[in-house]
Amino acid sequence: MCCWFFLRRMGPVLLLWLAVCLSGSWAVDKGNFKTCDQSAFCKRQRAMKPGESPYRALLETMELTNTRLTLQLINDNNKVRLLLELYRLQGNITRVKINELKPLKPRYEVPDVLIREPPTEPLSLLSQDENGVVLSLGAESQRVIVSARPFRLDIVEGRDVLMSLNSRGLLSFEHLRMRKDTFSYKVTSTVASVWDNIKRVFSSQADPEAENKEGTDPANPAETVKEEEEKVEDGMWEETFKSHTDSKPSGPSAISLDFSLPGVEHVYGIPEHADTLKLKTTDSGDPYRLYNLDVFQYELYNPMALYGAVPVMLAHNTQRTMGIFWLNAAETWVDISSNTAGKTVFGKMLDYVQGSSETPQTDVRWISESGIIDVFLMLGPTPRDVFSQYASLTGTQAFPPLASLGYHQCRWNYNDQEDVRSVDAGFDEHDIPYDFIWLDIEHTDGKRYFTWDPHKFASPKEMLQGLLDKKRKMVAIVDPHIKVDTNYKIHNEIRSRGFYVKNKDGGDYEGWCWPGNAGYPDFTRPDMRAWWASQFGYDQYEGAMENLYTWNDMNEPSVFNGPEVTMHKDAMHESWEHREVHNLYGLYVHRATAEGLTERSGGVERPFVLTRAFFAGSQRYGAVWTGDNAAEWDHLKISIPMCLSLGLVGISFCGADVGGFFKSPSTELLVRWYQTGAYQPFFRAHAHLDTPRREPWLFGPENTALMREAIRQRYTFLPYWYQLFYLAYHTGEPVMRPLWVEYPQDPATFALDDEYLLGRDLLVHPVTEEGARGVTAYLPGKHEVWFDIHTFQKHNGGQNLYIPVTMSSIPVFQRGGSIIPRKLRVRRSSTCMEHDPYTLYVALDNQRTAEGELYIDDGHTFNYEKKELIHRKFSFANGVLSSVDLEPNAQFTTKSWVERIIILGASKPSMVTLKTADGENQLEFDFDASMSVLTIRKPGMNVGADWTVTLQ
Amino acid sequence: CSFLSSEMRFHIIIAAFLWAAFVESRKIRGISSSYKRFYRERKSFLCIDGSKMIPFEQVNDDYCDCADGSDEPGTSACPRGRFYCTNLGFRPHYIPSSRVNDGICDCCDASDEYNSHARCQNTCWNLGQKERAYVEGQMKTLDEGLRLKQQLIEEGVLLWREKQAQLRELQRAAEDLQIKLEEHRKRKHEADRLKEQTLKALKAGDKGKAPSIFRTHFKTFAHFAELFQFTQLGRRFGYRAASISCLLSLTGATTLLGGGHQMDLSKFQNTLWDNFHCFHLVGSLLDYTNVKLSCNCIEHYDNFDLQKKLEIDYGTDWEYLFLNGQCYKLKVYEYMYTLCPFNMVSQKSTAGTEVSLGLWGMWAGPAKNHYSQMVYENGEPCWQGGSRTTSVTMTCGTETALRSVKEPSKCQYIMDFETPVACQPVLKQRGVHSEL
Repeated sequence: MCCWFFLRRMGPVLLLWLAVCLSGSWAVDKGNFKTCDQSAFCKRQRAMKPGESPYRALLETMELTNTRLTLQLINDNNKVRLLLELYRLQGNITRVKINELKPLKPRYEVPDVLIREPPTEPLSLLSQDENGVVLSLGAESQRVIVSARPFRLDIVEGRDVLMSLNSRGLLSFEHLRMRKDTFSYKVTSTVASVWDNIKRVFSSQADPEAENKEGTDPANPAETVKEEEEKVEDGMWEETFKSHTDSKPSGPSAISLDFSLPGVEHVYGIPEHADTLKLKTTDSGDPYRLYNLDVFQYELYNPMALYGAVPVMLAHNTQRTMGIFWLNAAETWVDISSNTAGKTVFGKMLDYVQGSSETPQTDVRWISESGIIDVFLMLGPTPRDVFSQYASLTGTQAFPPLASLGYHQCRWNYNDQEDVRSVDAGFDEHDIPYDFIWLDIEHTDGKRYFTWDPHKFASPKEMLQGLLDKKRKMVAIVDPHIKVDTNYKIHNEIRSRGFYVKNKDGGDYEGWCWPGNAGYPDFTRPDMRAWWASQFGYDQYEGAMENLYTWNDMNEPSVFNGPEVTMHKDAMHESWEHREVHNLYGLYVHRATAEGLTERSGGVERPFVLTRAFFAGSQRYGAVWTGDNAAEWDHLKISIPMCLSLGLVGISFCGADVGGFFKSPSTELLVRWYQTGAYQPFFRAHAHLDTPRREPWLFGPENTALMREAIRQRYTFLPYWYQLFYLAYHTGEPVMRPLWVEYPQDPATFALDDEYLLGRDLLVHPVTEEGARGVTAYLPGKHEVWFDIHTFQKHNGGQNLYIPVTMSSIPVFQRGGSIIPRKLRVRRSSTCMEHDPYTLYVALDNQRTAEGELYIDDGHTFNYEKKELIHRKFSFANGVLSSVDLEPNAQFTTKSWVERIIILGASKPSMVTLKTADGENQLEFDFDASMSVLTIRKPGMNVGADWTVTLQ
Repeated sequence: CSFLSSEMRFHIIIAAFLWAAFVESRKIRGISSSYKRFYRERKSFLCIDGSKMIPFEQVNDDYCDCADGSDEPGTSACPRGRFYCTNLGFRPHYIPSSRVNDGICDCCDASDEYNSHARCQNTCWNLGQKERAYVEGQMKTLDEGLRLKQQLIEEGVLLWREKQAQLRELQRAAEDLQIKLEEHRKRKHEADRLKEQTLKALKAGDKGKAPSIFRTHFKTFAHFAELFQFTQLGRRFGYRAASISCLLSLTGATTLLGGGHQMDLSKFQNTLWDNFHCFHLVGSLLDYTNVKLSCNCIEHYDNFDLQKKLEIDYGTDWEYLFLNGQCYKLKVYEYMYTLCPFNMVSQKSTAGTEVSLGLWGMWAGPAKNHYSQMVYENGEPCWQGGSRTTSVTMTCGTETALRSVKEPSKCQYIMDFETPVACQPVLKQRGVHSEL
């Protein structure tokens, strides 16, 4: 939700701002957010151009243990030493860590994002001379070459260079230093040197070995003497943007590193940006920015930062897919260029490298404001490998409750209980299914989260029971800003426990948000998160019931009167500045909330929590949406690349506000958005407070029918969605994926972002053009066939297909060779469909075979972890369709049976026989010769059983 | 066989009968009696749309064969099917097939949940009771409402006549004023001439001469006092904004001139003449347009107002006329809402100021019930453009009162307004269709 709305409630003081706000056009006010030039460290770093790196590897300091290699680097300009750590991780990942050898104080290393300390594999030394070392990266003839002068790393497989680090010499590490222009520095440095002398005396007496070490390091005393005076630039010790001053008590601390990707022309990822799937080069403008921000009316097709940040980039060509995971939670900028510069440097060291000057290359450069360099090079080689590599580091998508894959009805705001009741009744009256109705901030008592407006929501349990009676659920918003009000229990507890983020002077940090003056709980603290989680307990959260779930908005965090509408960087999270943890804050809020929902049921029930801000690892805690979009055709279009980009970096449960949040959609746009949203993972309609109502039945019976049909299609595919999410939970594969993931060798797919795949088997090309008469979809796979899911028309792969469309068209194709289980008895909510029978859609490929899976469990608990599930594999070959158990040790029973089998691309059989444990019987069938569709009538067996159906 | 007592035989017969009834009930589950003819037990069943012939065993066998869903009236198999709740004791109705055996009780006779975990009670009798009581209440309300309505219609007719008479009177007054205006026009020309003269005298530098001219033409100035009286007349008719400026200048002048006919010339001279830009004052006093405006105010405003009032559509029998001039209030949460029919709607927060939610726009009910809804438009502008509007639904009741206010979307208000005049005799036809 946008913050500016708040202004109108903030009284006359803000009238001037208001006027400015009103007079502006309908777009983001770019002036509120920094460009690289306005962010001192970015400007400083970007001023550094590619060239000879000042860093040199001190090979004599190299230590190689079974699990890691360490090596010191020295900057020949200032003699500051860095420590390089290199790890070979299981699953073809190389981790490179660079920190100051002796930082003035510890530098921040991001905690809680990796699911565990990644298991390592041994590294072995292949060769070494004074120019560098070559290490083996285990199998596949992969090596890492560490060059000493200048320092660079090359990862090589066979004769191919996969990736080079610091090949353009942009490694930069602003070491921590004392401020020299202040009195305190002079005092401290004097004291420090005295102390150093004392230490030296003592250590020489107590630790002769240490003395010895220093002696064997001839560079050391000389360095101290030779160290150049550091140039003090503007913005190093203080920085002002608009009216906000960042006090920067630690001074400059930026880091930067470049990565060269020879042979790569396509890079993806680093969400969240409102931009195309294929990332653009940034030479002519700003780099892509990663800094979680509440951006009012964001603009499309530019690299500005948005609500979330996942510092993961994927690189792809027809040979290989790789990934770079830059684990840093501070403000980060990513430059991308595509050129052949730097290749001459290559030739120097590696003369065997393929050197054609036509070879395309992408160069990437990461710049962060502070912390350390900790980067994971995920070396593929397939897209699936990269997904599982990244999943092994940060975990997979939380397996959501089945109901959360249904349709969600949201609006800012459903005004009162009567409003909720009548909207709920509207769905029944118009026979439209839905699972969740949402309450935005107005449901609270004066924006005090965990409370209810005493008049409008006087009996929440009664309301929730009413929904429960229809097997439906509700989501109520809980934002992380807490109203400063001594009559508010939550505030009092947080204050008395000292759980608030502190300002630079040690007091509780306060900023403006929805409730007016608000405090921000320090979610980086485990004790704070545990307390927060406990607030979701049924004994704490008054009015909550088991069908009430949660939505975390504004968790960037949004601070209306803060710099760039967020928290001051010099605010304190215990001993760390906000600067260090900024991009993590939203993840922590999401996590604490999800843990709360899990704990309230004693760990039995799966949580469902939606978040706006996110970071690497947020996939473990629930769903994400693309924030405050607008009711415009371009916003509908951008929902595809935005969710595709998130899926590539592990966050599968993604959606955009259906209809658009700001402004009011035309009926055509609204219908098209329902049709698109029905085929995106998180399917929720949402609308701004100032827009007219837009429940799906308010636009005349024809349009009601169109929206009803789109939502019903969603429900028929719920078994498939659920199975895809189970797969995502297991493997990290995205649910909604770009075509290139499945057709990695087909360059025609590499930049497509107006169509996508759901799993492997459904191809969706939504209609996103106003007044469209047709769309052109690329059907991939030269040897594939695709079946229109509505008409069963068969099309060959490897072609651009023009599809004429009407208002009712949603171009979706099922891949020949796949079997998709669906439930065609669409009911009021997904829970009502639990025991319903299945229809199997068997789409035959050119070899007349097909495969598919079915996953079933109770839909809402963690009991699947105890193998209370059914996981079947269906395969069709040689005229026999069979179902086998993929989890023979699992235990779960279902009432669901198979009511129909539809075989697309079939020929007419003379007889169809079903064989189960109970015996054999013949089945009736119907054959449509014009479309080659065989419909087998009511086979009737339980879907969890073993069976075969034979066509003769 | 001979062992079987007659009692046992009786039981067997009963069981057989029940079995037959059960089989029968499976076949016809979910059908209304008027549709039974389509489902007569035969060898085959023709889908009601005629699209397909299927064996009769496939009716209600939980598999959808007919595109129109007619083969599965009693199961959830067909996406477009419907299930008939007989609901003995209450109102029978259809539900979508998707609600059969979904674990939620939809039919009050529980017939939709014959194979689910839902423990549905037959609530038809209770519902019927309630419904009958409700309808009875509604009937009473309607009768009473219609009686009151008749009264109001009669009053309305009287009021209408009275207002018409008032209008005629006003029109006559306006005509008189026209005549007076003509007189003033002449005097104005005279004054203009005087002004010119005075100005010339001043320009010529003969400051002393000016008062003498003024004195000479004292009568002319005295005339303004008369003018003032004239505007007082206007005020009696309640003219407003447009004439305020002319009233002000006239009042100012009259005050300066001693507040009436009695004019103290020396006072005028001392306090005003020397220190003030008298000529501007004189100029504006004599400004013909101002005079004309004040006449127009009287002539048009009141006339117009009443005329406009009488132009409004008050229903076929002027039954809504009595609402004009009335205001009705309702407090909802922290807001006090006011509806003044045919005039305006407003909202006042406990702390804040009053916000207009719209001015009378029009009747906006559907063609068959044109007077069931009012629309008020062009209220206070909204944050994101547009202005506040209110739609008022008129419902039948024995009292005239504002019953509810909602704001489903920002700046769009919905009100329920209850009044006897909204009562329609057609309502009487509604009722419970009891199948007891």
